[in-house]
Amino acid sequence: MTQEDDALRREIRDWIAREAPRDWRTASTHEAFVASQRSWFAKLVGAGYAVPHWPREWPGGGRSLAEQKIIYEELARADTPRLLLSFVSTYHAFATLAECASAQQRSHYLPRILEGETWCQGFSEPGAGSDLAAIRSRAERRGDVYVVSGQKVWSTMAQYADMCLLLVRTSADGPKQAGLTYLLMDMRLPGVSVRPIHQIQGDEEFAEIFLDEVEIPVSQRVGEEGAGWAVAQATLASERGLTLMELSYRMRGAMLRLSEAVHAAGRTCDAGVLRKLGALATRVDAVCALADRFLQKRMDEDERVGDASIVKLAYSRCLRAWTNLGVELADLAGQMHAPITFGDLNSGNWMADFMNSYAWTIAGGSDEVQRNIIAERMLGMPREPKNWITEARP
Amino acid sequence: MSALRRELEDNARKVFPDWQAAQDAEGSWAQMAELGWFMAGVPEALGGLGLERRDLAVIFTEMGRARMPGPALAQFLALEALVQAPDVPGREELLENAMAGAAITTSLTIAGDGLSAVPDADTASQILVRSADEVALVGLAGAKITPFPTWDGSRRLFSVEPAPDAPRIPLAAGAEAAALTERLDGLLCLGLAGDALGGAEAVLAMAIEYLGTRRQFDRPLAMFQALKHRAADLKVALETATALYEASSEAAPLALGAMKAHCCEVYKQVAEEAVQFHGGIGLTVEYPVHLFLKRAFLNRTLGGSAAFWNESAGDAVLERTSAG
Ligand SMILES: Cc1cc2nc3c(=O)[nH]c(=O)nc-3n(C[C@H](O)[C@H](O)[C@H](O)COP(=O)(O)OP(=O)(O)OC[C@H]3O[C@@H](n4cnc5c(N)ncnc54)[C@H](O)[C@@H]3O)c2cc1C
Repeated sequence: MTQEDDALRREIRDWIAREAPRDWRTASTHEAFVASQRSWFAKLVGAGYAVPHWPREWPGGGRSLAEQKIIYEELARADTPRLLLSFVSTYHAFATLAECASAQQRSHYLPRILEGETWCQGFSEPGAGSDLAAIRSRAERRGDVYVVSGQKVWSTMAQYADMCLLLVRTSADGPKQAGLTYLLMDMRLPGVSVRPIHQIQGDEEFAEIFLDEVEIPVSQRVGEEGAGWAVAQATLASERGLTLMELSYRMRGAMLRLSEAVHAAGRTCDAGVLRKLGALATRVDAVCALADRFLQKRMDEDERVGDASIVKLAYSRCLRAWTNLGVELADLAGQMHAPITFGDLNSGNWMADFMNSYAWTIAGGSDEVQRNIIAERMLGMPREPKNWITEARP
Repeated sequence: MSALRRELEDNARKVFPDWQAAQDAEGSWAQMAELGWFMAGVPEALGGLGLERRDLAVIFTEMGRARMPGPALAQFLALEALVQAPDVPGREELLENAMAGAAITTSLTIAGDGLSAVPDADTASQILVRSADEVALVGLAGAKITPFPTWDGSRRLFSVEPAPDAPRIPLAAGAEAAALTERLDGLLCLGLAGDALGGAEAVLAMAIEYLGTRRQFDRPLAMFQALKHRAADLKVALETATALYEASSEAAPLALGAMKAHCCEVYKQVAEEAVQFHGGIGLTVEYPVHLFLKRAFLNRTLGGSAAFWNESAGDAVLERTSAG
C-alpha cells in the first residue's frame, strides 16, 4: 500500500461522508429508484469516481487497477448504492465502444454516457439463452439501413435505456456464430417497444424488447457485418473482476445483517447457529480474498482461462448460501412480505435477497455454463461431441 | 507469487516431484533439512533464513502435496517457540540442532486439548508442551508413550504423559506463555490448512487424470457433464480456499483457526469425491487415492475441530457487530 493509495482512500472516504445518499434504501417506487440512481451517478461523475476504468482522456479515467480497487472497496464499505442503471453503459457499452467501435462512434457516445445516457444489452432471446449464438432476431440490409425484427428478453433496465447494444442475425448460412452482426440501437426509434418483466421478488429489473421493422442506420454497426460474435465477446468480458470484488465486499459488509438476524431470533447462544454463521463468515472472507487475487492476477497480466468463471461461481454460490442462512434464521418472520430495496442484493429482507441471488447464478453465463468452462478449458476435460442434432434427426 | 516463494515451490518439487517421492520418512526428513526448511522461519541473526510466515505457508502446502510423513509440522512449532523465547539458556545450541534436523515433537492438537496427538514421540528426545500457563521443552526419557494408531498411516501419532521428574526447559510463563501458545496454535492451523490445500490439489489432479483415461460407454469418463461439473465445483472450492490461505498467513489466531476449518473441509470434500470418481479402484488399497482421504479426515480433527473454530468465528461476528 503506497502513500498515494492511502491519500486516495482518505480522499474518497471524506467525499463519501459528505456526498453519498443515505436514504436510498427507502426508495419505494421505480421512479424514486431511478431518480436516486441518476443523481448518484451524476455526483460520482462530477467527483471523478464514476469511470475509473476508462482511459485517462475521460474525466476520472486512467486510474490504475489498484486505485480502481480502492474506489470500489470504499464505495462498498460505505454501503453506497450500486450503480445499477449505468452499469451497462459504463462497462458493457464502454468496453464495446473502446475495443471495437469506430473513432466516430466512440467520440459520439462516450461523452453522452457520462452525461447520463443509459444503455441496455439486447442479446438474449426466448430461443437463445445459454446458447447465445442461436439468436434469431433478423436484420435485413436495405440501402443505408438494417431493418430489424425480432424479440429480445431479460434486458436489464431496458425500460429506462436510451440506447441498446443489439446482437442480430444477418445471415443464416454457415456456423451460427458467423451470421451475427452488432448494432447500436436508439431505443426511441419507431418499431421498438419495451415491456418490463415482473420478477418473482417484486422488482422489474429487466424487460422484453420487441422489434418490429426497426430501421437502424448502417453507420450504427460495430465491426463488419457477420463479425457480431467477436464484438459480443468484448461486451461480455467487461463485467467481471471489479464488479465481483465490489459485490463480495458488499456481502462481507452485510454480515451485519446476519448478526442482526441472529439477535432478532434470540439465538446468540445457539452453538449450531454460531457454527453456521462462523463458517459462512469465513467463506465470505475467502470469496473476497479470491476476488482480490483475481484482480491482482489481472494487474500482473497473469490471468488464466477460467479464472473469471471461478470468481463468478464462488461469489454466486456464496451469495446463495448467505441468503439461505438469512432465510433460515428469520424463520416465519422472514416469510412476511415486505417492500423490497431496489438494487440491493444484501438488504436483510431475506426472501427477497434469496430470490435476487438467482440473478448471479443465471445471468452473465449461468453457474452450469461456468462449470463447463472451468472443466473444459481449465481442467482439460474433453467437450461433448456436437453431433446430437445429426443423430437425432430422422 | 513472489520470486522467493516460487523458488521454494520449485525446489520442493524437484526433491519431491510427487507424493511417492516423500514416503520414506527418514530420507524425506534429511531432504527437508537439506532444503533448509527447518531454517526457513528462523531469523538470520540466529542462523536461519529469516523467511516470513507466508513463505512458510508455501512449504506447508508442499508438505501436503507430498503427503509428508514424520513430525515436520511439530518441528516448525518447536522452532517457532525457540525463536520467540530469547532468554532461554542454551537456546542457540537447541536452535542449531533443531535447524539441522534434531527432532523436537509436540502435539498437533490445540493447547487446551492435551498431548494426545504427538507425532513420532517414540523417537524424539524432547517434546514442546504448550499451555496458557507455561510453554516448555520437556525431556521424553521415562515418559509414558502410548501409540495412537490412526487410519491415516502417514503420521505416527502417540499420546504422551511426560515423567513427573522429566528435565524441563521453560520457554515462557504467565502472560507470555498465553501469547506464545496462541501464536503456536495459529501456526499449527496455518500448517494444517496448507497441508490440506496441497493434498487437495494433488488428489484432485489424480482424479481428473483418471477421469480422462478411464473409458466407459465408448468415451472418457471426463466427457460426462455430471462429473465435469463436480470437478469444476471442487476446483472452485480449492481456489477459493487457497486465496483465503494466501491472504491470511499473518492473520490473528482465531481467523487462522476458522481458515483451517474451511481449508480442511475443502480437502475432505475433494478427497471424498476423488474416491467416488475412481469407482471400485478407489477402494483398492494399492491405489493411492484413499491415502489422501485418510489424511484429509485426520487433518480436519487436528488443530481444533471445525465445530470449535466455526463457533468461535460465529461468536466473533456477533461481537464485531455489536461493538460497531
Ligand atoms: C437478472 C438477470 C439479468 C439479465 N440481464 C440481461 C441483459 O441485460 N441482457 C441480456 O441479453 N440478457 C440478460 N440476461 C439473460 C441471461 O444472459 C440468460 O438468462 C442466461 O444466459 C441463461 O439463459 P436462459 O435464461 O435462456 O436459460 P437456459 O439457457 O435455457 O438455461 C436453463 C438451465 O439450463 C442450464 N443449461 C443451459 N445450457 C447448459 C449446458 N450446456 N450444460 C448444462 N446446463 C445448461 C442453465 O444453467 C440453466 O440452469 C439476464 C438474466 C438475468 C437472470
